[in-house]
Amino acid sequence: MPDALLDGLRGLVGPANVLTGIELGPYVIEGRTPDAAVFPRSVAEVVGVLALATEAELPVVPWGGGTAAAVGLPAARAGIVLGLSRMTRLVEHEPGDLTATVEAGVTVAGLQSALRARGQWLSLDPPDAERATVGGVVAADASGPRRHLYGTPRDLLIGVTVVTAEGAVVRGGGKVVKNVAGYDLPKLFIGSYGTLGVVVEATVKLRPLPDAERLVCASFDRLKDAGDAVRALMSSDLVPNAVELLDGAAAAALGAGAGLGAALVVGFDGLDEQVVWQCDELARLVTSLGGRDPRALPPEAWARLAPAARAAVGQPVAVMSFALLPTQVTETMEQGANAARARGFHTAWAAHASVGVVSAAIAPEPARPEPAPLAAVLAEWREMAHAGGGRATLEWAPLAVKAQVPVWDDPGAAGRIMQRIKREFDPRNVLNPGRFVAGI
Amino acid sequence: MAALAEFRKASLRRELESIVGASAVLTDPDELLAYESDGLTMLRALADFVVFPTSAEHVSAVVRLANREGVPFVARGAGTGLSGGCLPAEGGIVVSLMRMNRVLEVDYENQIAVVEPGLVNLHLSWAVGRRGYYYAPDPSSQQACTVGGNIANNSGGPHTLKYGVTTNHVLGLEVVMPDGEIVWLGGRTRASAGYDLVGVFVGSEGTFGVATKIVVRILKKPQAVKTVLAVFDEIDQASAAVSAIIARGLVPAAVEMIDQLTIQAVEDAFDCGYPRDAAAALLVELDGLTVGMEAQAERIVQACRDSGAREVRTARDEAERQLLWKGRKSAFGAYGRISPAYMVMDGVIPRTKLPYVLRRVNDIVAAHGLRVGNVFHAGDGNLHPNILYDPRRAGEEARVLAAGAAIMRLCAEVGGSISGEHGIGLEKADFMPFIFSPDDLALMQRLKNAFNSSGLCNPGKIFPTSKSCAEVGPAAYRPHAIEEKGLAQRF
Repeated sequence: MPDALLDGLRGLVGPANVLTGIELGPYVIEGRTPDAAVFPRSVAEVVGVLALATEAELPVVPWGGGTAAAVGLPAARAGIVLGLSRMTRLVEHEPGDLTATVEAGVTVAGLQSALRARGQWLSLDPPDAERATVGGVVAADASGPRRHLYGTPRDLLIGVTVVTAEGAVVRGGGKVVKNVAGYDLPKLFIGSYGTLGVVVEATVKLRPLPDAERLVCASFDRLKDAGDAVRALMSSDLVPNAVELLDGAAAAALGAGAGLGAALVVGFDGLDEQVVWQCDELARLVTSLGGRDPRALPPEAWARLAPAARAAVGQPVAVMSFALLPTQVTETMEQGANAARARGFHTAWAAHASVGVVSAAIAPEPARPEPAPLAAVLAEWREMAHAGGGRATLEWAPLAVKAQVPVWDDPGAAGRIMQRIKREFDPRNVLNPGRFVAGI
Repeated sequence: MAALAEFRKASLRRELESIVGASAVLTDPDELLAYESDGLTMLRALADFVVFPTSAEHVSAVVRLANREGVPFVARGAGTGLSGGCLPAEGGIVVSLMRMNRVLEVDYENQIAVVEPGLVNLHLSWAVGRRGYYYAPDPSSQQACTVGGNIANNSGGPHTLKYGVTTNHVLGLEVVMPDGEIVWLGGRTRASAGYDLVGVFVGSEGTFGVATKIVVRILKKPQAVKTVLAVFDEIDQASAAVSAIIARGLVPAAVEMIDQLTIQAVEDAFDCGYPRDAAAALLVELDGLTVGMEAQAERIVQACRDSGAREVRTARDEAERQLLWKGRKSAFGAYGRISPAYMVMDGVIPRTKLPYVLRRVNDIVAAHGLRVGNVFHAGDGNLHPNILYDPRRAGEEARVLAAGAAIMRLCAEVGGSISGEHGIGLEKADFMPFIFSPDDLALMQRLKNAFNSSGLCNPGKIFPTSKSCAEVGPAAYRPHAIEEKGLAQRF
């Protein structure tokens, strides 16, 4: 990186907010060290950083809490990490409007605690909320168990301010909960992994905090029976806020007990009487379908649900996530585990079962240190997903594995539209080049 | 766009017929008239052709032909839109999706349905209703409007307060792109690879292509529904009640406000049981579990009473509930009985600004010497001031447009939006700078380029023209030739 550029960045944000050399440790992705990490404090400074980087044609990696930094392929060239961690203002919160506008660098946990003090919350529970930032959650389309009832960022983000690669400050959407004026730009930035612009501010819909909430767990000897219970639950009158299905390994990591075939974990919120009645109904429903010992889990268990598969495997060599038809969840979990076992791997599986979103972690069996190629298992998993009309993403794996197994599904003909959007938004290909689908 | 020469038109007609069949092409000016506007009849333009494809392949072939000939084309559903969004391009092709109206598949276990774009919104809920499901977005025109039209406009409705608008219920789309290529965006699962193209397509007002298959979520009908009517002597009290309901931690399925002028029009027409002397009424609907319904309703009742409601009652049975909703959903029809014409406005404001904005709206309209009826989605701050007027009176329409523009400016000033559910279309294209900067609009234009680089797909919509401020707003109404001849009239 040219010294002049480094001087320019230091002049812009202050020398203390430009990291280089050994300080870059936390920003190394897959062994690739960026040239510098820069931490602007204002939108104007973000504009300045992008202008300098674009002029030098250096890749820019927008960085929130870094919780999804390893998703996708790292830039082939080292570049500048653009950290948003100093942009943490709660810009606006009018409780009567049930909306809040925040700078992108505020953590989800930080936002929730500010909102909680006023009886409200952002109905989104992504993993690692202490580190995950609002901007990062938007860029990575992160969500958690409560998405069953409350949806994902696309259901909650109503406005966004981004800085484009060319340094324009652009607002999309607005600050009101219903809005069809112009194209829905916020949707475009959700899940775009920093390839179209740097999210610097977000406006979100809020909800009042429920009076009560409870998480209930039931044990099953067989995954299939737990899956049947999910179906029965979905066609019942109950209104859960989370429907999670875990295989035995993930259930153990959650703390639901060892040696189970599977665990079904269901959340309810609302008025006290509603929560109590639903927990009773659920207990009846699961026990009629082979479930045992329906019991309340402590509130801390919520945060352990989404990462349960990964935690169960300890040192996974890969994590794959799936978007499936809900009816195919249990079959995919069973077949996927069998396919891995046949090749000498052990796995753990956890699903947002009602919406068909599944996460699987894989590691070699300790007894078989040199298993068949991991790539073969992952490819087989992906084929299984595709066969049922689903999708698979290699959420995490070492670079060597990513070299053999594509991270992203091929988006087909839609990929060409995506490439055109990328060219229109980032003509010099500065933002996270090569990280995303279709070579974007 | 200049009209095509007659000989070229005849040859184009033959080609269109060879694609969709002779009975599926209109070129007779009398027949084309039915397609010259949408629900905003103030704006009109005559296409050269209307075609009725029955498959994505038909649509694709028509679009490819249009590209070859450089002819603009506009997709159209039931034509109930209120912003001129499907107004034909003068001399272009209207692609009517009304013959593509099937429910192709319902997968109850996965709670999805695959439908064609011409399916009437309410027919989808009917189709899945026997099994206890429904399609949540419920625009007031749901008896006529199509799911494809809802996709274009990202339509809302009363119950979107709790359940979200169209975009929150669409998983996948088969789309004929503006160059004729057939592409799937999204699918049946909750995530797909890459950018959320479904998310940007929904609400793109027909400028990104033509949806030919639509995968939507269907929802289980709630166990219980309760509808509360609160009656107020002052409109400010009703506004305050909306905030009070939210402050009590409630998210009802719907919170609708109806003002006095509207109540009287509705009662004259349909006798729905709203008190005629009330300044405003709130229609609040709760749905969900039977357990806790009473307790929630009690919170609503209390919030309304504390805000000064003179009467709060709960619909005793489904018949009374339907009657109250009939009053709400038939308001537009009722205006037709008390005024020769009315202009439906659509704007959004932060909910806390409701008392101030409603007062200002009424002042603005009165200052223009006109009457306004308000019936709207108060729970999410989505206003619908409806300005009554008589197009036969000289200058009245110009005043309607001026008042409408002032109301849009007001929405923008308080941090709101110029459209909550009716879209920008042609009507509000010149209001876009009220809420978007040149940079914002430039990025939207780039997005459009990525989908519709030729600009032939629904041209002239959404983006402002370069008219000066003095000319802002749609062109004034002029009677059409056939009206002057007494052959037709506006309604």
